[in-house]
Amino acid sequence: MKSGELKNQEYKYGFSTDIENFKAPKGLSEKTIKFISEVKKEPKWMLDWRLKAFNRLKVLKEPNWQKPKYPKINYQDLYYFSAPKSMKDKPKSLDEVDPKLIETYNKLGIPLNEQKKLSGVAVDAVFDSVSVATTFKGELDKMGIIFCPISEAIQKHPELVKKYLGSVIPISDHYFATLNSAVFTDGSFVYIPPNIKCPMELSTYFRINASETGQFERTLIIADKGSYVSYLEGCTAPMRDENQLHAANVELIALDDAEIKYSTVQNWYPGDKDGVGGIYNFVTKRGACRGKNSKISWTQVETGSAITWKYPSCILQGDNSVGEFYSIAITNNHQKADTGTKMIHLGKNTKSKIISKGISAGQADNTYRGLVDIGAKAKNSRNYTQCDSLLMGNKCGAHTVPYIKNKNSSSTIEHEATTSKINEDQLFYCNQRGLNQEEAVSLIVNGFCKEVLQQLPMEFAVEAQKLVSISLEGSVG
Amino acid sequence: MVSLFNIDFKKISVFSDEEASERKKKFELFLKTGLPNKKDENWKFSDLNFIISKNFKQITIPEDLKFDKKIQFIRDFDHNHITLINGVYKSCDIRFEEKEKVKIEGLKSFDSFTIEKGNNLYNLNRALSSGGFSLEVQKDYKCKKPIIIYNYFTSDLDNKIINNSNQIKLSQNSELTLIEYNITEKSKFIKNTFENINIGQGSLLKSITIQKTKSNGYFYKNISGIQDYSSSYQNFILSSGLKFNKIEINMNLEKENSNCYILSGLSLSKDEHQEIKTQINHFAPNCKSYQKIKNVLENDSTGVYQGKIFVKDIAQKTDAYQLSKALILDDKAEFNAKPELEIYADDVKCSHGSTSGSIDEDAIHYLMTRGIKLSIAKKLLINGFLNEIFENIPEEKIKTFLEKSIMEQVDGI
Repeated sequence: MKSGELKNQEYKYGFSTDIENFKAPKGLSEKTIKFISEVKKEPKWMLDWRLKAFNRLKVLKEPNWQKPKYPKINYQDLYYFSAPKSMKDKPKSLDEVDPKLIETYNKLGIPLNEQKKLSGVAVDAVFDSVSVATTFKGELDKMGIIFCPISEAIQKHPELVKKYLGSVIPISDHYFATLNSAVFTDGSFVYIPPNIKCPMELSTYFRINASETGQFERTLIIADKGSYVSYLEGCTAPMRDENQLHAANVELIALDDAEIKYSTVQNWYPGDKDGVGGIYNFVTKRGACRGKNSKISWTQVETGSAITWKYPSCILQGDNSVGEFYSIAITNNHQKADTGTKMIHLGKNTKSKIISKGISAGQADNTYRGLVDIGAKAKNSRNYTQCDSLLMGNKCGAHTVPYIKNKNSSSTIEHEATTSKINEDQLFYCNQRGLNQEEAVSLIVNGFCKEVLQQLPMEFAVEAQKLVSISLEGSVG
Repeated sequence: MVSLFNIDFKKISVFSDEEASERKKKFELFLKTGLPNKKDENWKFSDLNFIISKNFKQITIPEDLKFDKKIQFIRDFDHNHITLINGVYKSCDIRFEEKEKVKIEGLKSFDSFTIEKGNNLYNLNRALSSGGFSLEVQKDYKCKKPIIIYNYFTSDLDNKIINNSNQIKLSQNSELTLIEYNITEKSKFIKNTFENINIGQGSLLKSITIQKTKSNGYFYKNISGIQDYSSSYQNFILSSGLKFNKIEINMNLEKENSNCYILSGLSLSKDEHQEIKTQINHFAPNCKSYQKIKNVLENDSTGVYQGKIFVKDIAQKTDAYQLSKALILDDKAEFNAKPELEIYADDVKCSHGSTSGSIDEDAIHYLMTRGIKLSIAKKLLINGFLNEIFENIPEEKIKTFLEKSIMEQVDGI
């Protein structure tokens, strides 16, 4: 990529689509929740569950221990449900979907159309509050894999939803998780039956379009005994000068010998150069390795959002289970990130690995916050943590806040962290070979992130690599 | 909280009337929130409120006492000394130094104490503080011998709380080695100390803390200091053997080329809880800080390390390193760490490492194949693990003395 190109790369997903919306009444109330539940034609148990969360929410306080502070959110001034009007009566197939919507997804490069099915990724696209279309359904059905919007799963597979929803993130967990439990609108549901290896990457694309809306999606992935699934998630939003809230909950459950790989490329609108607008990305992601020999692996590339505040975590309950966390968090201009992971070791011989790379430029603040907790019964457990930060300029900050707890004598925890700037010698070497400053930085940064980028599935890795370069544009020199 | 503390303010000697009313205000302020508990981020791993209320039913302040015992001085090397009985300044002997160059007396004012807000133990200390010392080394004077502080605690301190404050000042180009030597008789008490350190340009302060015997003491010590150009501060914490011990160090590297080293080697046994918390603020360029914390944990002991390195945007070329290592010998033992970095300057080298685990099985195997018994092999490895800390003490005689004291502790394992 030439440097000229790099400089001109603005946030290219910043357009908004002019689609007539159908919204819930403004504000957070029992009425809104009943409205959402009614539109979704939900059974009574679901509505009760939501109301239980809402009652809990009334006594909870918003947490304030995080590093990035933000102005108080007026929860009564938000729309909790917004859907393209044409989705009110659900389309039966892609042909019936509003062409404007299809156009939007085409602009975003999401393979919704038949022709693009060749790329072999099954996609569930969520536009504001509703799931628009899920591709490849038939093929997955044949193998017994369920991949559908969660609202559909509530109706068609209530026994699975009832059993697992809220079992990893309980409704009373914390403020934003509880808020999500009360008002969640849509999201993906995945169930992989025993001993099935999902033959393709499953993917969800999230898009916030309407203004003054919060997006509250809920994802639930269950990998039954001996199964495997790789799941991708991507997100974009239009440029607006207001802050929009995104508070999602993602729950993963891996039973005996199952493996879930969850990859995120988060590119919500980060706000402009002066820090106006952008998404507040307050997400709760948690996976439970319930079964023996199970594995959950989180990979995230966080380049967007005005504030990113999330800790994809693993609860290693089953003996010999494995948790992994690979993360790149890039903050530029006035962006703020407070992200990391929690690895909670409960079973014997459990292993976890954390690789976190933080890059901070402009006036941004980037915090790694993590917990490694090895319980007294988790004999012979191991953890390895490495978190590296790269600083560009002296107006930005890089922070590391790890909590490390070891409660038994047969387990080992290793933690290292470094903070530095780009090595002058490396820059000089690249310059000497004819790369200009921006190209050299882009190359070095990509090298710095390589350990994490390697973990991404092919389709995502290329996009992520580009994103890493674009996010740092103009931060050099 | 009110019922736990039974304080008679008349018993406290005060500097002035004004100060007396100030004390009552501070005590009321303290009672409002009480002892810190684990909801307080700084006390997350050491719930002082829980520990104290579990072990104490009522807390009072010590009476004035007549002390006529003879303290057994250390004979291993020549030294000056200060004697504190139950935290109160008693006497000093600086026979190896020029008298006018080193000024030592009981503390006379709190003027130099400024502690960060929100530390409720500071309110308690200011309300009840009596005793402590003030030490000043004059410009261009390098002390010839170390000063040992004999911190003696008598046997009648059951359920008492000792509050005192110390003030240490090193003027330009001076040097001092200070050894705090705690001797405790058998009594169960609380000690709450605040220490203020001011290290002048080009000066060096070495401070060593060591415990003579095991003790039923519950100690909290807060050290806060500032360092001028090219100054150096080295602190060795070797005070194993207390029921509870938390040492909190806040050091501000305010001027260029200063450095700060904090090293600790602790071996904890049954029912012991130790925490070291450090905050090193790099406010100026070209400074160096280094923290190395080693814990050996057996039985149901708990070791905690909370460290923070803060680097201000102008503090370029900072070199900061934090390392905490724990050997966990028993399944009931626990090690918690929170090594934190907060960095706003880009041309810096800041890193931390933390490990915890058991003794290396391969190393044990190696020693045993060479005919060494398991128990001795373990002791050798533990000794080796802790020894790394006092390798940094250049004075041979002091080092040998410290090694001997630590050996005694390890032999107990």
